[in-house]
Amino acid sequence: MQTTNSNVALDRKSQVANPFLVIEDVSKVYRTPDGLHTVLDGVNLTVGEGEFICLIGHSGCGKSTLLNMVSGFNTPTTGEVRLQDRRIDRPGPDRMMVFQNYSLLPWMSAFDNVYLAVDAVYPNKPEQQKKGLVKEYLNLVGLSEAADKKPTQLSGGMKQRVAIARALAIHPEILILDEPFGALDAITREELQEELLKIWREHQVTVLMITHDIDEALFLADRLVMMTNGPHAKIGEVLDIPFPRPRNRAKIMEDSTYYELRNYALDFLFRRFAHDVD
Amino acid sequence: MTATTEFRSSRKKNKNPIAKLLQKQLPIFLPPIVAIAGFLVIWQILCPGGSKGLPGPLQVWNETVDPYITQPFFDNGGPDKGLGWHILASLQRVGIGFSLSAIVGIGLGVLIGVNQFFHRALDPAFQIMRTIAPLAWLPIAQTGFSDNARAALFVIFITAIWPIIINTAEGVKNIPQDYRNVARVLKLPARKYFLKILFPAAVPYIFTGLRIAIGLSWLAIVAAEMLMSGSVGIGSFIIDAFTSSLISQIIVAVVYIGVVGFVLDRLVGFIGSLLVAQEHK
Amino acid sequence: MSFFVEIDHVDRIFPLPNGGKYVALKNIELKIKQGEFVSLVGHSGCGKSTLLNIVAGLDRPTHGGVILEGREVKGPGPDRMVVFQNYSLLPWLTVRENIALAVDEVFAGRPKGELKEIIEHHIDLVGLQAAAKKRPGELSGGMKQRVAIARALAIRPKLLLLDEPFGALDALTRGGLQEQLMKICQESHVTCIMVTHDVDEALLLSDRIVMLTNGPESHIGQILNVPIPRPRERMEVVKHPLYYQMRNEIIYFLNQQKRAKKRASQVSTPQVAITGGGLEKVSLNLGFIPLTDCAPLVVAKEKGFFQKHGFTEVNLSREPSWQDIAQGVATGRLDAAQMVATMPLALTIGMGGKKPLPVVTALILSRNGNAITFSKELYQQGVRSLKDFREAIDRTPDKVYNLGVVHPASMHHLLLRYWLAAGGIDPDRDVNLMVIPPTQMIDHLKSGQIDGYCVGEPWNSRAVSEDLGFIVAHDLEIWKGHPEKVLGLREDWLEQHPQTHMALVKALLEACDYCDNPRNREEILSLLCQPQYVGSAAEYTRNGFIDPYDRGTGEEPQLLRRFNQFHVDNANCPGRVEGLWILTQLARWGIAPFPKNWLEIVERVRRVDLFCEAARQLGLPDIEPDREPFALFDKMVFNPDDPVGYLKRLDIVREFEVEEIVIDPTADVKV
Repeated sequence: MQTTNSNVALDRKSQVANPFLVIEDVSKVYRTPDGLHTVLDGVNLTVGEGEFICLIGHSGCGKSTLLNMVSGFNTPTTGEVRLQDRRIDRPGPDRMMVFQNYSLLPWMSAFDNVYLAVDAVYPNKPEQQKKGLVKEYLNLVGLSEAADKKPTQLSGGMKQRVAIARALAIHPEILILDEPFGALDAITREELQEELLKIWREHQVTVLMITHDIDEALFLADRLVMMTNGPHAKIGEVLDIPFPRPRNRAKIMEDSTYYELRNYALDFLFRRFAHDVD
Repeated sequence: MTATTEFRSSRKKNKNPIAKLLQKQLPIFLPPIVAIAGFLVIWQILCPGGSKGLPGPLQVWNETVDPYITQPFFDNGGPDKGLGWHILASLQRVGIGFSLSAIVGIGLGVLIGVNQFFHRALDPAFQIMRTIAPLAWLPIAQTGFSDNARAALFVIFITAIWPIIINTAEGVKNIPQDYRNVARVLKLPARKYFLKILFPAAVPYIFTGLRIAIGLSWLAIVAAEMLMSGSVGIGSFIIDAFTSSLISQIIVAVVYIGVVGFVLDRLVGFIGSLLVAQEHK
Repeated sequence: MSFFVEIDHVDRIFPLPNGGKYVALKNIELKIKQGEFVSLVGHSGCGKSTLLNIVAGLDRPTHGGVILEGREVKGPGPDRMVVFQNYSLLPWLTVRENIALAVDEVFAGRPKGELKEIIEHHIDLVGLQAAAKKRPGELSGGMKQRVAIARALAIRPKLLLLDEPFGALDALTRGGLQEQLMKICQESHVTCIMVTHDVDEALLLSDRIVMLTNGPESHIGQILNVPIPRPRERMEVVKHPLYYQMRNEIIYFLNQQKRAKKRASQVSTPQVAITGGGLEKVSLNLGFIPLTDCAPLVVAKEKGFFQKHGFTEVNLSREPSWQDIAQGVATGRLDAAQMVATMPLALTIGMGGKKPLPVVTALILSRNGNAITFSKELYQQGVRSLKDFREAIDRTPDKVYNLGVVHPASMHHLLLRYWLAAGGIDPDRDVNLMVIPPTQMIDHLKSGQIDGYCVGEPWNSRAVSEDLGFIVAHDLEIWKGHPEKVLGLREDWLEQHPQTHMALVKALLEACDYCDNPRNREEILSLLCQPQYVGSAAEYTRNGFIDPYDRGTGEEPQLLRRFNQFHVDNANCPGRVEGLWILTQLARWGIAPFPKNWLEIVERVRRVDLFCEAARQLGLPDIEPDREPFALFDKMVFNPDDPVGYLKRLDIVREFEVEEIVIDPTADVKV
């Protein structure tokens, strides 16, 4: 087992002065009938508080595995993940996850779906306060009027809004998004990206997000983490995205840096670490 | 990710394979065995030996072990035969009736699945008829067919056909538009369309129908044979035992019916799974 | 040039459960060359898949048709193979069997060995030999789509139709497949039409990208040529100097459509109480300028067309100038008005530094009917043509020639400038243009303040008949069939009075039809000459309108059949292409910036959809002219897909800016 840090291309900026989340020498090895399968091999990443990080990489590069280790659904084979110097070994409400398929309970209204989470995390709060919290967060994502609707009565974008409201209502320290907008059409996706940025600014929550969309990452993130291909995936490069905030999509697209960064990421993903057609 | 045993925790297990297998299978087989044993104990306590009314399991065992349990295939002529013969006779009837209903049912199902007009015309009637209990058909069948054996076949046929028709039609109607588009673009001729697309696409639905139908026909045969006392067949056996107040024999027969019904259901399910295997993922 | 595929004016109308109709596609006209790769791009619900299905023959157009190699498509067939988004492989067959099913059927009768060879070749082509015995359930999404592509290509279709082929895959997985598809298409020289919403995918693969507007009545908004040479390689493509410019153009198009979609969802149903006949308003105040081509308004009132369509009282308000018309509509004093064709666009983009005021037109009231009059003095100097005028200017460098136009945003102004510039005369440097109301042109010419003017009739013929000037050129010699007068009204008025507007358009459309019947012209003439309308003398109003056109040059007067064109030749449809031309001319002379969001502006101002609806209700043809390049008299080609390029090619052109004109000021999104 290789335990030394093989990750040479680590960006110097990823050594954040005041580390909030630290992913240190993390590897993940699975035993399969065909022998050992190393998914992640020596991943190092330090995230500062309030940062917006996007992860990009071809499917099978272990992005989701990595985020699952941050959320605590999975544990590293070697190395460790620390949040504010506490080692992460199990899921907890301080690290809330939003999935691409929304994962809402279909028999419950939007309100009840959010309430369920709030109630689970704050069982001792008075009911009035909990309900107030749910309302506040549904309002935040612009769903006050649809609070009583069941997921089947909501569009994909609205469902994802409920999921985001549910994740935020319990005040997590890290919001983990696993390709949250992948299933939405272009218009809704842009709207939700804008809303997510707004919420992120207002709540100063730290965000880790998986995406397959370079433009999405360039619009949202402070840093774009580009993963190499699995097996033995690691962080290939970290791109700093220097656009000032608040960001305006049209303005960013007028900036020539945008195209340099975009071409750089394209080059990484489609030439240097091109995926064999599966 | 296919296998997910973790690397670290993989050192502990190192026993011989048979013990390992037992260890694995035990949790599956133990609970039902315990449950059955418990049931028998409770039954024995509720119906102790010598009491009137329902015999306890020990009494049933003592009264039927010879010849009904140990010799399923004795033959004393006439209806006085081993339970195996009775079951086989019933199975034969079910086989004939069920096969007929499968052939007719799938055919009709495809017809109303493909053709909107036939669907509109026939579906309401089918929906009504499927709710009629097998026994209700019996007097009609006996009037219609002079022969009791044929009447029984008819009852099986008429009981089993509805779920086959309805499920087949559903399957045909639910063929994804894409598959139809493929056929249209390739201009597949009708025969090929049926064989290559319509039928395979509807197979899972058809087998759902067949599985419901086999259960229903087994229900129906017992009911039908009950009105055919004196002939060979598990239903007739029960009714003959009942008239002779041989309750233990009835209980054994009932257990046989249950086991056979279970096996039939699994058999159709298994055939279905062979055909449907890998398909609809 | 003969085309391989021709999508010929296709409409697709779906009946709605409530008995209404949904026009999904309207007047789609597209020609595709053999071997071309064309992408259809647009937001969801724009009907792009419907269009593809129509080409495939899986769906039938309501009007129009699709022609493949000279034959009409009447149903699906293996010559147009489709690759569906969800692969549509048969799950009970292996990869090889799936391909074999298609090959065996299409090439039935060929020897077994040959069939087998075809099958194996195509499995190899997509690199799936190792998975040939697997069923689709065991394959990844990308592999499934490769099987579908192999199946499609194996039957050697003439046309490969791809319906969001990689839509179900994530953006990165798509990459490799796109390159593979590109290679395969190149090798097999197959003609392709692909529906996609992925801009990079479209640019990588296509020769042309057809952008469709939102439904309902989705139509082709813009076509982009992708001049990147083949064979292409992704990283080279994105580094092509034009790549991001083209990408931004498509994204800009999609953003405009996104805004239009939002706006459409915000338009509230009118709260106005509906009066008799289903109209929100039955008495109207309509503005007009006393010119021969106000005839449709006069006829609609005098011949009862307004009444027929449910109006109890229509007041025709005679306005002194175009300025008053614009103000009257802006302030609401006028419900609607006869406008110069340029005016709705000019008001909407806020020409002259004003606040944009969305004004719409759903009806062209007249085409042509203008002329350029020069003074008798110029005639005596021997000026007979544009070329002569150029020479006269060169001969007399000290003299300033003054020419009159009626309004900065009038067609007269743009046509006069165009005409001068085409003759090498810079309208800002070589001559002096002055704005003078039509009715005062004669006086100015008589007093020698101007040497000529461009105006509508009867003011040219009056100069001829009073022997003050001669007609050096008329519309038919500059741009035959150009839009001249339109029915203009505020967009918010339309939103509040949709039924009233529809009735108004129908009444005027019937009046236009009436005006173009030569047997009615004498009657119309007597109506126009009434003092409350044009009030001019019949003898010079007749010129061109009824009589052969006398140019005052001593030549034999000629009968000009289309000099006043009110209805024939689909005159009434406010086509978008000519609207775009007007925008280029406003920019050309520095009158207004060229709107970057020209598509949005043209779509919003020139309401072809409403015109078509009115035409349908009257049983008249509802076709918009094709969006094709056209040229004026100087043969300079205007391509509606490249307006900025057109401006850049012109010799005489002011510095112009391309900027986005925000019509509905909303907070700029900053997050």
